[in-house]
This record gives sequence, structure tokens and C-alpha cells, in this order.
Amino acid sequence: MQLKRRDFMKVTGAGIACLSLSHLGFDLRPVQAYAAQLKFEGAKEVISVCPFCAVGCHIIAHVKDGQLVNTEGDPDYPINQGALCAKGAAMLSLTRNPHRVVKPLYRAPNSDKWEEKDWDWMLERIATRVKDSRDQNLKTTNDKGQRVNRLDQVFTLGTSHMDNEECALVHQAMRALGVVHMDHQARI
Amino acid sequence: MTNHWIDIKNADAILIMGSNAAEHHPISFKWVLDAKSRGAVVMHVDPKFSRTSARSNFHVPLRSGTDIAFLGGMINHIIENKKYFEEYLVNYTNASFLVGDAFGFEEGLFTGYDPKTRKYDQTKWAFQLDENKIPKKDPSLGNPRCVFQLMKKHYSRYTPDKVSNITGVSQENLLKVYEAYAATGAPNKAGTILYALGWTHHTVGVQNIRSAAILQFLLGNIGIAGGGINALRGEPNVQGSTDHTLLYHLVPGYMAMPVADWQTLADYHKANTPVSNDPQSANWWQNKPKYFNSLLKAWFGENATKENDFGYGMLPKVEKGEDYSYLFLFDRMYRGELKGGFIFGLNPTNSVPNSNKVRKALDNLDWLVTVDVHNTETTDNWHRPGIDPKTIKTEVFLLPSAHRLEKDGTVTNSGRWQTWHNAAVKPPGDARTFGDMVVDLMNLVRKKYEKQPGTYADPILKIDWPAKYDAEEMAKRINGFFTVDIKVADKEYKKGQLVPSFAVLADDGSTSSLNWLYTGSYTEAEGNKSKRRDPTQTPMQAKIGLYPNWAWCWPVNRRILYNRASVNLDGQPYNPDKTVIQWQDGKWVGDVPDGGWPPLATGKGKSPFIMTVHGFGQLYGPGRMEGPFPEHYEPVETPVKNHPFSKQLRNPCYKSVSSDMDILAAPGDPKYPIVLTTYSVTEHWCGGGETRNLPNLLEAEPQLYVEMSPELAKEKGIKNGDGVIVESARGKVEAIAMVTVRMRPLKIQGKIIHEIGMPFCFGWTTPGCGDSTNRLTPSVGDPNTSIPEYKACLVNIKKADKLTEIS
Amino acid sequence: MPKSFLIDTSRCTACRGCQIACKEWHELPANKTKQRGSHQNPPDLNPFNYKLVRFSESLENGKISWYFFPDQCRHCIEPPCKGEAEGYLEGAIIKDDKTGAVLFTELTAKLSPENCEAVRAACPYDIPRRNEQTGLLTKCTMCIDRVSNGMLPACVKVCPTGAMNFGERADMLELAQKRLAEAKKTFPKATLADADNVSTIYLLIDEPKKYQPHAVAGLSGDLSRKQFLARIFGPLKRPLQRTASV
Repeated sequence: MQLKRRDFMKVTGAGIACLSLSHLGFDLRPVQAYAAQLKFEGAKEVISVCPFCAVGCHIIAHVKDGQLVNTEGDPDYPINQGALCAKGAAMLSLTRNPHRVVKPLYRAPNSDKWEEKDWDWMLERIATRVKDSRDQNLKTTNDKGQRVNRLDQVFTLGTSHMDNEECALVHQAMRALGVVHMDHQARI
Repeated sequence: MTNHWIDIKNADAILIMGSNAAEHHPISFKWVLDAKSRGAVVMHVDPKFSRTSARSNFHVPLRSGTDIAFLGGMINHIIENKKYFEEYLVNYTNASFLVGDAFGFEEGLFTGYDPKTRKYDQTKWAFQLDENKIPKKDPSLGNPRCVFQLMKKHYSRYTPDKVSNITGVSQENLLKVYEAYAATGAPNKAGTILYALGWTHHTVGVQNIRSAAILQFLLGNIGIAGGGINALRGEPNVQGSTDHTLLYHLVPGYMAMPVADWQTLADYHKANTPVSNDPQSANWWQNKPKYFNSLLKAWFGENATKENDFGYGMLPKVEKGEDYSYLFLFDRMYRGELKGGFIFGLNPTNSVPNSNKVRKALDNLDWLVTVDVHNTETTDNWHRPGIDPKTIKTEVFLLPSAHRLEKDGTVTNSGRWQTWHNAAVKPPGDARTFGDMVVDLMNLVRKKYEKQPGTYADPILKIDWPAKYDAEEMAKRINGFFTVDIKVADKEYKKGQLVPSFAVLADDGSTSSLNWLYTGSYTEAEGNKSKRRDPTQTPMQAKIGLYPNWAWCWPVNRRILYNRASVNLDGQPYNPDKTVIQWQDGKWVGDVPDGGWPPLATGKGKSPFIMTVHGFGQLYGPGRMEGPFPEHYEPVETPVKNHPFSKQLRNPCYKSVSSDMDILAAPGDPKYPIVLTTYSVTEHWCGGGETRNLPNLLEAEPQLYVEMSPELAKEKGIKNGDGVIVESARGKVEAIAMVTVRMRPLKIQGKIIHEIGMPFCFGWTTPGCGDSTNRLTPSVGDPNTSIPEYKACLVNIKKADKLTEIS
Repeated sequence: MPKSFLIDTSRCTACRGCQIACKEWHELPANKTKQRGSHQNPPDLNPFNYKLVRFSESLENGKISWYFFPDQCRHCIEPPCKGEAEGYLEGAIIKDDKTGAVLFTELTAKLSPENCEAVRAACPYDIPRRNEQTGLLTKCTMCIDRVSNGMLPACVKVCPTGAMNFGERADMLELAQKRLAEAKKTFPKATLADADNVSTIYLLIDEPKKYQPHAVAGLSGDLSRKQFLARIFGPLKRPLQRTASV
């Protein structure tokens, strides 16, 4: 039987015992019980920085038993004062993402698939590639006879995702190898 | 940014141009709207009406690539109507400098142009020097050879009718912006300019920004609260990665990469250390040998000695004038000249222009190491659509990297604040930080060279390289150490102690630092300052939101650069309501001043623009490739065959590469009559490799679209939501039509020109979302920076019969 | 003390921080969406989006307007959805008088699809959505768990520009009047949408219909707005103590 809206506008004092919002993961007995139900209750707060644009909003990561359970804008940081945009707000699912690459992957020449390898195997193989390329191609002097120590055939690109400490190391390593083809997001 | 994010709130006028701040730096609008709610006028000049425009006082559409015409018109307006801040102009800029007789300008070209090399002889643009080699000046600004008069003459050509004619902006709209912004020429008013890739992504990118600098100098807006030239930098640590220089042409700290002609350290210093005989010029770069030698000392440790030029000889040397940036790198790769390489957290098959060529170029590599958090169009290029992987010879490595919440370290925001982030959780699976893998890999390479020397092992074996990656230890190395026990100005330091400030860096090998700009960030007295979370401010600092005790900022915790230009010759602020610094009781209070010298009126002061040789702001910039004054040139692919300012249609010095895949449309090409501009979206980051893997963000922006006016859609028989094909001389791209009144047809030289816009964040590894927009854009770039012209090229558009990339 | 939201559309930049923060806080799965010629995505509220930024644009007399409407449950003072649901099942929809939050409980899963449709039809703002898999009715929860713990709702906490505000109802009403007065200087048509009847008050800078069909109650019906409001929100005029339900 279809009833009119007005018929249901009566005020009710009906009890709400035994109700729950289990689909949200919360108990409603009574509403105040939520006080103990926050999903990051007891979590450790860790300060981090949003990995997208260079406003560099600060983020609080809530960690419970080694797992990330929530992220929020850092209300104390003077620039974002707790606020975040769409990307910054997605930090939980960014970090806990099922699409992450979690194993070193190797694709052999002319192969049609990735193969999982361990780090030692990968780094050993890459180091061999680097040394061979360098030994075969390093230009110690140019056409004018000037000393140049340059490895024109090997390049490095990226990344603005690196921390300052990592950038400093990459620059140092690449110059030691003789790499001059070097660029990253700052130019695009 | 010369200033910083919070400081935007101090502006009386905000010109957002070459930026869509609300969409690409959403938190910036916290401060933009803060200023607006206190009466600031917010103006958005941009081809597209965007979320930024929606919250601005007004939006003014212009054709992509005509910013210099627009700004040149504003310079003209300010000079003609005497809206400039004359005292500032005379005391702090090179307006009064006299330019040599060789300088001239005719038909769009400055003197000294060689059409064969497409380069200028910049010596023709030199200043007139007195017997001490100090530029001659005319403080009355009346001399016809002074910068001010030459500039006035140059921009007198930028009349409202001509500007309107080529930009597509009505004269009424021009005046609206000009008048509102010029009002900040009053000494107690501040105007800020917020720009981003919308200015840099042009073959006249640097001169777009130079135009803005000229405006800010004219109006006295540099060095003050609420002023400045503010590049809203777009990537997570792009400021830091530029400072620490993942770029071919520099070494960390904005010093030149050695070229082959500088064979010795002495050669390097001779070529790179500026000299000024003006006692009023700080000429800060005269200290460069201290910074460079400390860098070498940090790189080579004990192996850097005075006797071996601190290891300078071991460094690679580039060829003078040779370009090793993206456009040229991928061109050489396409020609098969490169063997292998590393791509860390970057998706060039989506984000570099003419990406069809980039994708093909990668096929020519023997080996490729990719490092990322997700599979991207770059990591998986070997099995891209239409390619049989069995034909691709490249050995590809994909190393899983840690994300921000999974590691410790520092990043530097656009306002130069260096802030520490802490690892919250462990990286998933076997993922590792970039630092871990680079340190370990280099140690393996070093071991191999120890066992079997190979070619010129010296630089590899002699670098001072850590055994394990430790962000804290690296932060100290960046700050720098004393390498010997030493006494500096009555203070004793021990070998191994942290250097307190770059003022004590030395050129004799007694100090090391991986980046002089960051010296002072980590000290014995105060520890790691990037971790500071102290909101304390003096009332003066609080008024402008300076937060000097929160984190740390380069250089020397100075929050507003060139801040001595915010005060008069007596050291008193031009705007006492928003004081940045002030000379009180024999010392400076407020921000950290640009050097502690007393005010200029004492006769012992120094001019505020300490990073320039002469100490003055450069209205006239003789160091740029295409001329000392910005001049309007059309984009390389332009819908017009001429423009009203000269016969020189395009930048005479723009960079380009040539191959069978680098095809350009001719000016006014009837096959490609529509202007395309490209951009990011709020919900995705850059090439989209990460954010397309975030379901919640993909839900909000799921597929490639093209924004176009209803007028163009009608002309082409396209309805909102239709599949379309956009085609340039280089490639075709499928997209969904977003027919919107926010794109307006523009009247250029009496004819309607249509402009469309597309994001570039979509790629084939995310099924059905579309593929790289950069298959359309050309490999042409700015002559100073080689930044490609993503923001203006020519295309055509038609309704698609069927879609294969989007489903 | 009941709480209220003030959503000041004159300050919204549609960064969609609120839309995403809501999903992240509630850990709601993503919908497979398509580009249909609009930035508004998903196209509508659904069981996995309790909050949706709606976009509407127009060109009038050469002036472009682009309006953003972060749509969500209004947490009506006298919620018609609750009245409707009670006709079928007591407790399926409840109102927490402490906060003013209108909450859909797990009992909503026991409502038939037709009942759910009727609840949705009863809502003057077209908010409730039924999850076809679980049968639950869904919508904004006012982040009751956060609010009960003295925190701001996720969508308010994340907002950079002061578009999203939340607090004591009295404070929000005061702020609303202040912001309205400010907005009226630039936008003479600025209004507060149904402020007396709802806990989610929108400050609109133009006629409500320019935003979306359900920006205010009764926009698309036959009755006049005044009649409509009187009809659906009639009980509001009763003494407050009689509305106590918890």
C-alpha cells in the first residue's frame, strides 16, 4: 500500500536499540558509542608530505600495527592547515594500492612477458650493462683533443619524485659515470 | 617563487596568467581567496575559462602564445600613464643604465643576429661602461640610450589595437586588466603574478616570464609582501630536484656544467665568476669558486685535493652550445645513437612531445632501467598497441619504488621551504627507495671496476660514496662539513663538524657541501631544520604570515627574496602595513635580509638584487638568447601568417630537431586551422601513470576529452560527448568531445580562430581511457631552456566513426 | 547542540577534495565511469558516492558562469525520508538529536526496493540511493563517527577555501548571514537555500535552478516553493522538544 508522505511526518520517539551501521563499520548503540569507534583510534601519527604538486601540503598518516589506516591533512602546517585537494585526499588508496609494482620485473630482449626476479639478480645485471656500455663508449677526449670523460650513449631521466637527498646522489653517480644526457620533469 | 604560498594573501592584485592555479595547485586558492576576501582583485588571463576563472573577479580569454603581446601592451600602458614606481625604478632596477651604441632593433630583430647559425652576438647588447667598467647611468631616465627610454620606445609599438588584433582580447578587457594591475604601482600596494607551465611551455617561454619581471620592476613589486614573480611549480619535489639538478646543463646549486673548453678548474672559475668593480654591488656570484670547490670536495672526499683541482679533471665535460635535453636526447635515441639508460619515476612516452617518436626511439635501446610505483606507458612500451614484442630488442628492467609515505627525506616546496617527511609504513613487497637502489647499484659498479678496471675507472672509484642509503646522513652531506680543523672569524671548528652557513664555505678544500644553497639547513647548533614545526612569529612577521621558524627555507631561511627592495634607501618599508624587513636600531628586523649590510643611504649599503653582477633588477636582460627585451613572436605552429609587430613571425632562435617524424604545419596551414593547447587536470598528476591507478581519481576523470566551443562543435557537426579524432601533422588522437561555453572563439586579425584544449594524463596502460595527447605536439623548444611548446600547436578535429582507444 | 554545514559555493573551486575525501574516509569503492562531455563524474550520487560536486555552466550576455555544487544530504531538521521509512520499518532511518545527523541504518536493507524508491521520492533533494547488492540505502553520514569524536567531517576538514564549513548550528547560521551579506555585494541574487529546514545550508550566488534541479526543495514540482516547503517541512513549526527521537 502506497502512503502519502504527509502520513509519515509524525514525530517518533521509537527506540533505536539494536541498530547498527555495520555497512560503515560502526555501531550505533548509542550514537555516542562512536567515540570509541574511530578507525584510527590508537594509531600512531606520522607526518609526511603530499607527493603531488609543489605546494607540498603536509599529511598525517595514521598507522596501526604497521598498516596505514587513514590519512588527513596536517592541521598545524601553516600552508594547507589540514586541507587537501582531490589528489592529496586520495593518499590512503594511493599507498594501499593493488596496482603497485611490488617485485622487480625483467623483460628479456624480444620476450613478450615480464618475469619476476630478485634484487640481487637485477642489480648485478644492470651493473654489468652499465659497465659494459661505459667501457665500450666512454669518450675520454673529443675531436679537438680536449679531455671530456663523457658517456654520450647512456642517459638518465627523472625524477621530481625523488627527495633532495636522492637527487644529490643521482647527480653525483651520473657525473661519475660520465653521463651528460640528463633531464627530468623540470623541463617538461 | 620569489615569495611563498602564504604570502599570496598579502597581495592587492593577483594576476594569474599562464596558470590554472585553482585546478593545478588547489591549495594556492586558500591564499588567493584569502586575499580576495580582503579586497584583492583576482584576474585570470587564459585561453580557457576554468575553475580558476570561476573564482576570479574576471576572466579574460586570449589566444595561446600571445602573452608577450598582452604583457607588452601592459608595459606600454604603465609607461604611457606614468603608473610606474619611479623611486624604485631608479634605485633598484637598471632603468637608468646606458646601453651601448651597437644595440638596435629593427623589424623584430635585435642587432647581432646571424641567420645562418640562428644565434645572436650578444656583445652587441652591452651597457656603456665607465673607466672602472661600471655601467654608466642616467638617474633622470631622460637619456635616449638609457634602458627606460629604449624600453619605452620598444613597447610603444604595443598599442591596444595591435595587441587586441593578435591576442583576440577586446580592448575593453585589455584595459580592465591593465588598469587593475597597474594600480599596484603605488608604493604601498602589492601585485603578484602567478604563472606556471602556461608560460614556460612556449618557444618564447623565458621571455614570457621576462615580461612579467619587467612589469613587477616597473610597479615596484619585487621583494615585497604580496608581490614577486611566482612560478607555481607543479611536481612533488620539482623545486628540490632542480636545486639538486637532475638537469644536464648545471651542477647542484645553479652553477654551470663544465664544458670542454674549460679544461682546468682555473678555466672554469675564470669563465664563471662574475666581476664587478662597483663597491655598491654585492655581486654574490663572485663567491662561486667557494661553492663549486666545496661541491667537488663533497663529491670526491679525500680524493679531492688542491693539487688535483679537487677532482675537476675527472668530471665529464659537455660540448659548448650542445643540447642534451629531452628533445635532443630522444632525437639521438631515435637515430640509434644511445645504448641504454635510466628512467626514474617519469613517463616520457606520455609527457614528451611527439610521443609517437619517443615510443619508437625507445625501441632502439639495448637496455632500459625503469623505476616506478606502477606499470606505465614507458615501463611497458615494448608491448604497446600495434607492436609485436618479439621485434623489440631492448632488455627492460622495472624496479619497484617506494612512495612518499614509505620513506624519510626532504622535499622543497615551490616557496623554497625544505620540509622533512617521515616513513609511515614499509614499502609494499620488495619495493625500495630510489636512494637504496642507487646507492647499492653504484656500489656494485664500483666493485666491478675494482675487480676489472675497464675504461677510466678514476671518477667511479674516487667518489665519496656511502655504503648504505641514509636520508639523514645525506641531508648532512648536502649541508656540508668542515674537512679540517679550522678557525673562521674567531670561531673554531673541528673536522667533521657541520658547516653553519654558506658564508663560511671556502675554495681551499676546507669545506664540503653538496649544495651551497642548502648550507645552514642542518647545523650542529640546531640540528635538522627541515623538521622544525615551530609556528612562533614576531608580530611583524605574523602580519604577513612569514613563519620563519617553521621548517627551513633556502637561502639562509630568507622567505621573501630581494627583500631589501621592499624598503627605501633609509631601510624603511614602502608599505608599513606589510613590512618584510625594516632597519631598526642599527639592525634589520623581520625576514632575513638579502645580506646584512646597512641601508643604502648610509653609503655602506649594497644594491638589493645581489645575484646580478651590478646589483640591479634587469628590465634590460642582455643574457637571453633572443634579445634583451621580450618581443612578440608567434608559436612555431601558428594559425596566422603575419602579426602586427614586425615581419619576424617566429622566435628567430627557437630550438628544434629534424627527422622524418618531426613534421611541422606551415603558418596558417589550412589543413590544421585550429589551435590546440594542452594541460593537466586536478585529479591526475602529469602523465597520469600514478593517478590512473587510483580508482577514486580515475572515477572523477576517467577518459581523455577535448574542450571546444559550441561554435566550433556546430561547424564540425560534433555533439557533446561524441567521440572525435584530433589530428596534427605528427599524429592522431581519439578523445571525447566536451562542448563548452567556457571555450570562446577568438577574433584574430578580423577572422575567427578556434582553440581547443586537451589534458595529457591518459595512456593506453589504463584500458579504454584514451592514449597520449602528446602524439600531437611538436618537438620545438625555447632557445634558453629547451622547454617544449606544449601550449600551442595546430590541429584539425572531426567526429570519429568509431573509437578504438576509448571504450 | 545540533550541528550544521554551511556550504559556501562562492568559495568553492570544485577541487573535489571533498568528493574524494568522503570516499576515502568511508573506504567506498570506485565506480567505472565514462567521460560524457562533463567534468561532473560520477554523473550522479550513487551508493559509493555520498558526496558529489555538480558542475553547471552558462553563457548569458557574453558572461560565462560556472557553478559548483558539492551535493550531499541536507540532514533535514524534520527529515521526510525518516518519516517515509518509518511507515515501513521503525529505525531504518534515525535522527541523532545531538548532532542533527540523519542516519540510514542497516535496517534499511530490510526495506523493499519499492520502499527505498519511496524514501528517495520523499527526499526533496533526491539524495538517498540504494545499493543493489546489499539492499542498503546510502547517503552522507555527517561523518558521525568523526563528529562524535570532536573532529570535522572529512569533506569539511579537507576543504582548502572555506567553502565547506561545519559547527554548531547557531554559529553556522551566523556565519551564513555574514557570508551572504558579503556575497550579495557581488552577486545580488545570492541566497541561503532552505536554511530554516536543513542542517546543510548552501550559500548560492545565483538562482538555485542555475545550479541543479534539486538545489532547493520543490524546484521541479508544481507547487510554489512556499507551499512546498510548508508541506514537507511542516512539523518544523512544532516545539523542539517534541521532535526528540533518541
